[in-house]
Amino acid sequence: MSLRIAGMGWVTPLGRGINPVWSRLLRGDEGGVTPISDAISDKTYSAFRVPAEALKDLPPHPRLRRASAISRFAAAAGIDALAEARSAVGDIDTDRMALIFAVSNGGVVYTKRFYHNVVETGAQSASPLLFPETVFNAPASHLAAILGITGASYTLVGDGAVGVLAMKMASDLLDNDTVDSCLVVAAEEADWLLCDAYHKWRLLKSEPPIELFHQPPRGMILSEGGGAVLLARQGEVQIDTIDAGANFSKRDAASEIVGRILHGLADEEACIVASANGTFVDLAEQKAIERELPGGLVYSFKPALGESVGAAALWQVIAGAQALRTGRLPKMPHLAQDPGLNFPTGDEISCSKAIILSCGLNQQAAGLRLRIDL
Amino acid sequence: MARFNDLNGKTPPARVAVVATGVISPLGCGLDETLASLRSNKDCVSPVTQFDVQKCRCKTAGQVPDDRLPPNRNSRKTARVHRATRMIVAALEELFKQDPEFKPELTVIGTTSGGMSFGQDYYRALHRHRGLRHSPRWIANYLPQKPVIDAQSAFQISAPCQIIANACASGTNAIGHAFECVRSGKYQRVLTGGYDAISELVFVGFDSLQASTPEKCRPFDHNRSGMVLGEGAAIFALEDLESARKRGARLLGEIVGYGISTDNHHLTQPDPSGSGPRRAMEQALRSANRSAEDVDYINAHGTATTFNDAAEGKAIAELFGGVPISSTKSMMGHSLGAAGAIEAIVCLLALQTQFLPPNINFRSADQGLDLNIVANESRDAKIDIVLSNSFGFGGTNASILIQKLAA
Repeated sequence: MSLRIAGMGWVTPLGRGINPVWSRLLRGDEGGVTPISDAISDKTYSAFRVPAEALKDLPPHPRLRRASAISRFAAAAGIDALAEARSAVGDIDTDRMALIFAVSNGGVVYTKRFYHNVVETGAQSASPLLFPETVFNAPASHLAAILGITGASYTLVGDGAVGVLAMKMASDLLDNDTVDSCLVVAAEEADWLLCDAYHKWRLLKSEPPIELFHQPPRGMILSEGGGAVLLARQGEVQIDTIDAGANFSKRDAASEIVGRILHGLADEEACIVASANGTFVDLAEQKAIERELPGGLVYSFKPALGESVGAAALWQVIAGAQALRTGRLPKMPHLAQDPGLNFPTGDEISCSKAIILSCGLNQQAAGLRLRIDL
Repeated sequence: MARFNDLNGKTPPARVAVVATGVISPLGCGLDETLASLRSNKDCVSPVTQFDVQKCRCKTAGQVPDDRLPPNRNSRKTARVHRATRMIVAALEELFKQDPEFKPELTVIGTTSGGMSFGQDYYRALHRHRGLRHSPRWIANYLPQKPVIDAQSAFQISAPCQIIANACASGTNAIGHAFECVRSGKYQRVLTGGYDAISELVFVGFDSLQASTPEKCRPFDHNRSGMVLGEGAAIFALEDLESARKRGARLLGEIVGYGISTDNHHLTQPDPSGSGPRRAMEQALRSANRSAEDVDYINAHGTATTFNDAAEGKAIAELFGGVPISSTKSMMGHSLGAAGAIEAIVCLLALQTQFLPPNINFRSADQGLDLNIVANESRDAKIDIVLSNSFGFGGTNASILIQKLAA
């Protein structure tokens, strides 16, 4: 039986909602980049932030009273995906719905605050209120409580490819008789500490724009938000195939793994929603595309939405599904060099399939292919 | 109790064998040392040596001595990889000695905190504005998938890694999901288990909640006062039984059931009714097509916190009556994401050598809990099917059923 996207939710630096965010991407809008600082250092970074109004109508659930931004992004995306699914395919029984939460950095704001107190004044000042929110699965727990999910709930941790691994896990779970649908959610929150860490890791640039496929790579800018995809048996967009991929030991080896994944997914009717973000990932994907699907239409939203790490692959799935639903792909801004790839012009496209290619920053790569019956 | 039977004429699912395992924990390095500690009722909890605990209430934990960890196997210096990586490598070394031919298609591993101590090192260096030259290494190796990828690559494995972070249920959730993957017929061989290395942030966190105890860890005791933390890694090679038999693999046991539930009562406290654990245990029985009467021993989650033991104990008493139970966390502490995997090893050893592992430090029964505790000493017993429970923050509950399998 086919696996389909029954509903989606999207919380991004360009606002909230599938159609509003997609329209703004098609218009060429870019999310708001704001300076981000911390008392621990004089250094300032930039990050794409979710506008406050995007979360203004979240339900006043007690679980959200103290919850960090990551939990709020996830709640908003999850609620929206479920609402869209209910209006598109009818009732969804949450007792028979599984939840998979994909994340990379997790609740870094509260974790930093918790540990800062410990470092600053000692273990006796550690906060019992903050500690539970530092646990990776806290956002999933809040979301399960808000939506009334009582069955399977998994938090998956990984790099940028974790969203695809979560989709793979969802497809495996849906083989189980006890599960009718699976809500895959991914979220991240931006913080100065993350910016500093990725900067020291030599992956971050201090100011926009993100220039894709530039050699040498000029770096990425972090972002935040959430995405949600409800997988079920009904829906307009079908999950054609998922490749959980493999791990690369060195950055130079990434293109071989990405190429192997793309080899299995390549299709002449497909566009590619890439994970290119201004780092080594761009060249890995460029080489793989040149080898496996030359001429394929390549799109990445990272210049407009930033690099949301653990949420990125699920955002790519949403973008791919929207490309198929609307028959359009946004133009790619800030291409300072011509890498010889085929980029969208902003006009209508005639793809019936979309390949999601995800090369993470920390050794994981995976991919999947979506399709729509035209 | 009615026997669960819901095949409805479908093709029976694949049977899932454990063909190799490896473990390192406070109980010992490897299966033999682990078994010896269990049989001799050894208390493996000791004063914390990894970081300063002067300002904590609790000052003890179950720890793996650094000198028992293997050096890094590849070209990178040992100091560059996290302790957790070396724990996983130790477990994998033992596993691949048993079955060098095992080639996983997927790896599913549970953890709660990955390479947390590297994150701490980075933050402390930032705070004192010096010593940051190591920060790229700390940052690149901090994330939870990294120790698993590094350990896999030491054995030339590149299987995709699903890293489950379901708090204290992570290890059992990982084994349970891996079991379902093989049982569905989609995968023949899956590597699974759990790991966690003790870290200051997590230790202090549990201390701040007063969930950890300054005394002995006494699960299900009337005077229980909390958990002690632990650490370690345990890895399982799961394989379709038919395929394992065909290639002549050793058969160490069979995973027969898995249950998972989510308890939305509170982020850190279970519903006092025990409904969350009960649903997980019932689902494990249902998925195995077994009844509660079939279960011969339960390795309880048993953290020795007031609320957890009360909720779990209530659910076990209602569902299983007088089945012998113990919490081996009393001996080695609570190793969080590794706990379910290490305890599954304990269950396998119990099945193989026919004994009941002990619940040490037990002094007096909680009158509110009608439980058959294996108090203080291991004892011989005829057991064929055992249940292992893990419940965690966020309301994640997981149970697996393991049965003895003739070679």
